[in-house]
Amino acid sequence: MDQFLLFLQRVLPLLWQGTLITLQLASVSLLLGMALGLPLGVLRVYGPAWVRRIVGFYVLVFQGTPLLVQLFIIYYGLPQFGVTFDRFAAAYIALGLHSAAYQAEYLRGALQSVSEGQMVAARAIGMSRVQAIVNIILPQAFRLVLPAWSNEVVSMIKYTAVVYLIAVPDLMGQAKNLSSKFFQPIPIYLTAAFFYLVLVGITYFLLRALERRLAVPGLTMEQEG
Amino acid sequence: MAEALPADIPLPDLSAPPLVRIEGVQKSFGATHVLKGINLSVYRRQVVVLVGPSGTGKSTLLRCINLLSPPDSGCIWLEEQEITAPGVNQDKVRQRIGMVFQDFNLFTHLTALENVTIGMTKVLGIKKPEAREKSMWELERVGLADRASHYPAQLSGGQKQRVAIARALGMDPHVMLFDEPTSALDPELTGEVLEVMQNLAFEGDTMIVVSHEMQFAREVADKIVFMEGGYVVEEGDPDEMFTNARTDRTREFLNKIADFGETKNKK
Amino acid sequence: MPFLEKFYTTILFLLEGLGVTVSVTVIALAVGFVLGVLMAVLRVYGSRPLAALAAAYSVIVRAVPVVVTIFILYFVIASIINLTPFLAGALALGFASGAYQSEIFRGALQSVAPGQMTAARAIGMSRVQAIRHIILPQAVRLALPGWGNEATLVLKDSTLVFAVGVPEMLRRAQYVSSRTLEPFLAFGTAALLYLVLTMLTTFVLSRVEQRYRLLT
Repeated sequence: MDQFLLFLQRVLPLLWQGTLITLQLASVSLLLGMALGLPLGVLRVYGPAWVRRIVGFYVLVFQGTPLLVQLFIIYYGLPQFGVTFDRFAAAYIALGLHSAAYQAEYLRGALQSVSEGQMVAARAIGMSRVQAIVNIILPQAFRLVLPAWSNEVVSMIKYTAVVYLIAVPDLMGQAKNLSSKFFQPIPIYLTAAFFYLVLVGITYFLLRALERRLAVPGLTMEQEG
Repeated sequence: MAEALPADIPLPDLSAPPLVRIEGVQKSFGATHVLKGINLSVYRRQVVVLVGPSGTGKSTLLRCINLLSPPDSGCIWLEEQEITAPGVNQDKVRQRIGMVFQDFNLFTHLTALENVTIGMTKVLGIKKPEAREKSMWELERVGLADRASHYPAQLSGGQKQRVAIARALGMDPHVMLFDEPTSALDPELTGEVLEVMQNLAFEGDTMIVVSHEMQFAREVADKIVFMEGGYVVEEGDPDEMFTNARTDRTREFLNKIADFGETKNKK
Repeated sequence: MPFLEKFYTTILFLLEGLGVTVSVTVIALAVGFVLGVLMAVLRVYGSRPLAALAAAYSVIVRAVPVVVTIFILYFVIASIINLTPFLAGALALGFASGAYQSEIFRGALQSVAPGQMTAARAIGMSRVQAIRHIILPQAVRLALPGWGNEATLVLKDSTLVFAVGVPEMLRRAQYVSSRTLEPFLAFGTAALLYLVLTMLTTFVLSRVEQRYRLLT
């Protein structure tokens, strides 16, 4: 028992450090993904044909290839052309670009499910196309996209676990180090799994609360206004 | 409905140039030739009701007038400005034309009040407090001040349509277009919308209405326009049209729809 | 060496890992399918404790990164029986996919019209017979769009067994990259092959979906 407590004492602080890094990775990458995914999603629907095609290609490539391969291309591949990132930058970029593709796609779905009459009505009271998109279509799309976006947040927390492969000391990375140090992989990975479970659980409930708070009667993905 | 008519019903101003003048307007969607050359004048304070079988281009004509789908050829003048001319700012034109849709198209994410305010603040640049005050007044006009903070999903169809009317009125339009405003409503809800429209007519608003409500047309319209097959077949004074239409087609149509209206009311 | 020649050797070398990638994916999908259908049926039609167990499996596994699940199971399996990393990795990936598939099938089961069960019982089928012969065949078809999406996810996640030493395509790409010192070419080629694979999977499954679509 004492031995177990001692074990916990040595393992938990490092796993906690890893958790903080995981959180940091997830939040920065999500914001990067949003900063890029939001305009991409809008352009995918309202851009000129050639822009829509380019965005479609971006989404196809980033959704069609494994995240790990993207990470390796950015961390190991680009330095071949003199473009070098440190581990964290590479992790942020890979996770951010990957998430942008998904966020753009979710936003596209939401934008397209706003009924056509909304645009017509906005134009009829004299709004320009851009005004209609900004004031009428996007605010509705944001609420519609919220459930999918919540899933993306949860996915992102889990996706970050692959960055240990470029030696980022996140939760998974710490678990990996500790398990080779103590030769006790199962309890250590189980503990790490428990940490992820709690992290995801809290995030899930916070996002659900946010969804409820921002809910507008009659504005859900199943039903059109 | 119109038991107590106000003594001073505003009369159309036929001496001034028309508010809306349509000349030779044609419109096709793909291979379908919907409008085949429409000529029509609407004067200030005039209430014009467009009638005719469905699919004859009445709604299309409304959408041509506010340039939601600009005509392929022909010209439209609004207050003596040719709005179909190249280089005209279409957004500015639409600000002067209010439109009410068959399926309401209220902005789903906004309350009734916000639905009325948003055009004032974002398009006309009116300050928020002032816009809210004016919007409340518009809601009052359609009898829905007590529903100001409701979302569209929380309103009945008739209430939605009245908010939609308030939204259009809020922009101080010079002419109002109504595209079958009661066809999506349950019969027991059409009355409240028609009443609001009748009041607008009494207040002197210029209105172009596509409707199958013959009683409304008869009582409120200054002019009935019968359209069929992409043409204006006949236009004239309501009483004259209903009792003594010039063409067989018009007579046939008006009789049929009057019968239908009666059976509908009897149920 | 000219570029095309280098590309050609790289792609040939990676293609030798294609079989491993595809096998890992297929095994994991199959394991996940069996687990997923079973858990979904338990959740919808099972007794309360069994339904709770199935729900716990789904919720917990889906809250944990796939790579963590793979590591745990890999070591658990290794402590019980002696399996190759390939099999252990594929099984672990399948165990993870089972949780996601159980959600897909649960949704599908719940969207089969309730009248179907009533009608099946009315012609004298037992509950189990009704589930097996009437409900599941419909649910599996309803699940196809979601399942197709899961198939491409598993294909992409098959790169994660790389971490437990399975020589699949990404592993081979890493090997090429360290030998030729051309990491971009190696991983870029891998990306291209994965893209072709996911597009192919999507295409084939959407064909299957069209073929077996339920007309209502």
